[in-house]
This record gives sequence, C-alpha cells and structure tokens, in this order.
Amino acid sequence: MREAFRQELKDLKVEVLSIGRAVTGVTRDAVTSLVEGDVDLAEKVIAGDAEIDRRTLQVEEHAIEVTATQFPVARDLRLLHSLTYIALHLERMADLGVNIARAAKRTADRRGPQTLYDLIQAQGNLVYRVLDATCEALEKNDLELARKLQDLDEPIDHLYKQFFRELARLQDEEDIEWASSMVLASRYLERIADNAVDIGERIAYLVTGEFDALHDSDEETG
Amino acid sequence: MSYRSTPVPDDALEKITVKGLDFFYGDFHALTDITVGIKEKAVTAFIGPSGCGKSTFLRCFNRMNDLIPGARAEGRITLDGQDIYAAGVDPVDLRRRIGMIFQQPNPFPMSIYDNVAFGPRLQGVKKADLDKIVQTSLERANLWKETKDILGRNGLALSGGQQQRLCIARVLAVEPEVMLMDEPCSAIDPTSVQKIEDLMAELKDRITIVIVTHNMQQAARVSDFTAFFLQEMAGEPAVLVEYDRTANIFTSPKDRRTEDYITGRFG
Ligand SMILES: Nc1ncnc2c1ncn2[C@@H]1O[C@H](COP(=O)(O)OP(=O)(O)O)[C@@H](O)[C@H]1O
Ligand SMILES: [Mg+2]
Repeated sequence: MREAFRQELKDLKVEVLSIGRAVTGVTRDAVTSLVEGDVDLAEKVIAGDAEIDRRTLQVEEHAIEVTATQFPVARDLRLLHSLTYIALHLERMADLGVNIARAAKRTADRRGPQTLYDLIQAQGNLVYRVLDATCEALEKNDLELARKLQDLDEPIDHLYKQFFRELARLQDEEDIEWASSMVLASRYLERIADNAVDIGERIAYLVTGEFDALHDSDEETG
Repeated sequence: MSYRSTPVPDDALEKITVKGLDFFYGDFHALTDITVGIKEKAVTAFIGPSGCGKSTFLRCFNRMNDLIPGARAEGRITLDGQDIYAAGVDPVDLRRRIGMIFQQPNPFPMSIYDNVAFGPRLQGVKKADLDKIVQTSLERANLWKETKDILGRNGLALSGGQQQRLCIARVLAVEPEVMLMDEPCSAIDPTSVQKIEDLMAELKDRITIVIVTHNMQQAARVSDFTAFFLQEMAGEPAVLVEYDRTANIFTSPKDRRTEDYITGRFG
C-alpha cells in the first residue's frame, strides 16, 4: 500500500510539472500575441485558462485526499504540501498570462513604437528562462537552481523599470490606453517571475526541510 | 494550534535524565550509549521497529528490569537529578513515583473500588480518605461517570478500554510523578483509544508521560517529543537515532534513518 502511495506522489509531481510547462507555454503565447498583435492567439490563451484552473484544482483535491488517508510525513508531507502550494501559484501565473492576452486584444488595433515591443519581448525571453529553470529545479529537486531563480528574476525587474522610462519619452499624441495596457503587460510579466521565485523557495524547503528567509514579495502593489 | 494541548516551553525541566546508558540481557547487548532528557510535564513518545529495545529502555526508568535475572544497566539515569540506581534507592518507592501501564490491561480480580484503593491502602491511607481518592482518581482517568454506580463490580467485568482506564486510575491513585505507558492502546477499541489519548493530554498538566507506541500517527498526535530507536544490524545493540520535538520529527527529521522509518521506507 505504501508503494501505491509513493506512486501517487510521483504522479502528482508529474502533473504539477506538466501544469508548470503549460503555464510556460501560456506565457509565451501571451507575449507573442501582444508583440505580434495576434488576436487569435490571445483568444486561445484566454480560452485555455479554464483547463489550467481545472487541473490545479484537481491537484489540490488529490492532495487533500492523500493527506486524509495516507498520513504523509517528513519529505512525503513536504512534497505533498509544496505541490499544492506550487499548483496554486501556477494557477495565478496562468491568470497573469490571461491578463497579458487581454492587453494584447485591447492593443491589437494599433501599432506603437517598436522599441517598446522589443522591450516586452526581451522581458518575456527572460521570464521564459525563469520558468524553464523553475520546472527543471522542481523536476530534479535541484536546490542550487531553485535558489538561483531570484538572481534570474532581477533583470526582469530592471526591464520593467526601463519600460517606464521609455514610456515617459512618448509624445502626447500617443494613445494613453495603449500605453497603460503595455505597462500593465510588463508588470504582469514581472509578477509571473515573482511567483516563480516563490516556487523556488518552496522547492528549497522541499529539499532541505527548512524555510529560507523569505524574499520581499511586493504585496503592496499586489 | 487549538487541537493540541499546551505547548511545552523550550526551557522545560528534565524530569528524567539518561546519560550513556547501555543495557544487557546476559550476553545480549540490547541498547548502547543512550543519552536523552525526558522533559517534565510533557508527553514523550518512543518509536522504532519491533524489538529495538523501546520497552527495555522504558523499564529502566522504574527499574522493572531489575527483576530479570542476568539483566544489567550501565550508565546513569536520574529522576529529578537523583541517581535511581544509587544504593539506598528503594525500587518499590521508585515504582510508586514512576507508574506503569502495559499493553494488556491488567486489573486485579477485585472490585473497581478495591483496584483503585489498592495502592493507597498499601501506603496506609486511612479508610476515611479512600473514598475521596478513589473518586478523584477515577475522575482523572475519565472513568468516574461510567463506574460511580458500579464501584463494587469486579474490574474484570469492564470492557477492555475501561479496564485500561481503570489501570490508569489505579496508577494515579498513588500520585505518581511519571507514568510509563508501553503500547497502552494496542489491545483496545478505537473509541477507547481516543479517550486515552485525550486523557494523556489532560494528565500532562501534572505528570510526565512516556509512551511506547508502534502507531506513528498516535505518536504524532499525542506527544510533544519523539525519540526514534533503531537496531541497525541483528545482534548489534540498538541506538537512539534522533530525539526532537515531535513536530520536527514528523515534518523535517534530521537523520535519514528516521526519515526512512517514519515514511515507511523500511521497518
Ligand atoms: N527478558 C528478556 N530477556 C532477554 N532478552 C530480552 C528480554 N526482553 C527483551 N529482550 C530482547 O531485547 C530486545 C529488545 O526488546 P524490547 O525492549 O521488547 O523491544 P521493543 O519494545 O522495541 O519491541 C529484543 O531483541 C528482545 O528479544
Ligand atoms: Mg515493546
């Protein structure tokens, strides 16, 4: 019976990893839809969110069931709890991807300065890197990589600030709705990466059994 | 954390202190180099695979092993700082201060009242005081309501779970400071198990409890501290692998062997 339990834990981890890769895909599609003004792709991202919601909820239900019946302890307990926590974060990250896709729909009918699209794309590329590293750290229980996520996140924050500076240079006649949608998109990207850093901390706990000092999450702008 | 009883503070005193204990049954070396401090007014659980010496260690605390021919302990065990193996320590008096509950409830074949009054009578408590002691002890063992009208009935007529609580009342009647419980719930039904677990949480306000249990969930539920024992190789003496707050043992044990045992990876 303990073998079956262990297999269940493994399956659950595989599922969370798979959700993680799906969220990476969502983020890519969302950024592409924004940068290329691709409304169909944006619609696809928005429509796909229900499936991610369903899968994360299923992970949570499954984890509750296993907790109630199998009395997981020690690293099994940490894994189960962390997977639930990670799934919840992934679900929020997918929501942020949907927000980017919505911004893509709002801005698709006009073309702003290319430098800003380039900046968003550059920021997106850095975020994919963080997401790929997050999935890899979880897959391999890689403590070092999990702790490196925070460093990978740093340039993303910088790009967000740079994005602001570029916007400030825009002429008055630039469409204000267009501009604010783009700022929001950059902000959502930055928050997706923040969530990934939180996941990294949870992976570190999973591996070591100890909570690292929590990094400052920027709750105030929530 | 309202589901748990009062947390034991970090600076809680040690009621029983064990230093470098080795234990032998004749040529058989059962335990080696055990050092541990049992905290006062707390519940400490001993866990580990069958045959790793949990009962043996428990029986050292009230010198029950003295009764076994060829058995001997080396090292030091103190109760409130005083060596329990020192010359001049009366084992009978020690066993009053450190009571014991066994796996199989063992009421005496006499009335419920006489079972509880047995110890106090031996101590010469006056007849007039006995009623009060019997009632208080049965109350503290959560058995009063069920037995107050049948005190004259034979203790053996009670259910298994009630018999175990009667044994607890019998121990409590002599006001022990420590209660040792060796798998006290193994032979009783789940409802009674629940009652005894609740009882432990209540009793630890006044006494120190050490429980041997093969049920890890029970250890996690009832204890403040957990000690994990392991005999790594047949024929080798068992060691104390890890001792910590129960919450730490069951979330982040430090020793891989503890981790493997409590997660069911061996044993
Ligand atoms: N009276 C005894 N004489 C000789 N060996 C004993 C005696 N009691 C226990 N042992 C041995 O000591 C070891 C520890 O036993 P015990 O303390 O009962 O373990 P546990 O309570 O962890 O199951 C076992 O190998 C057991 O066979
Ligand atoms: Mg035993």
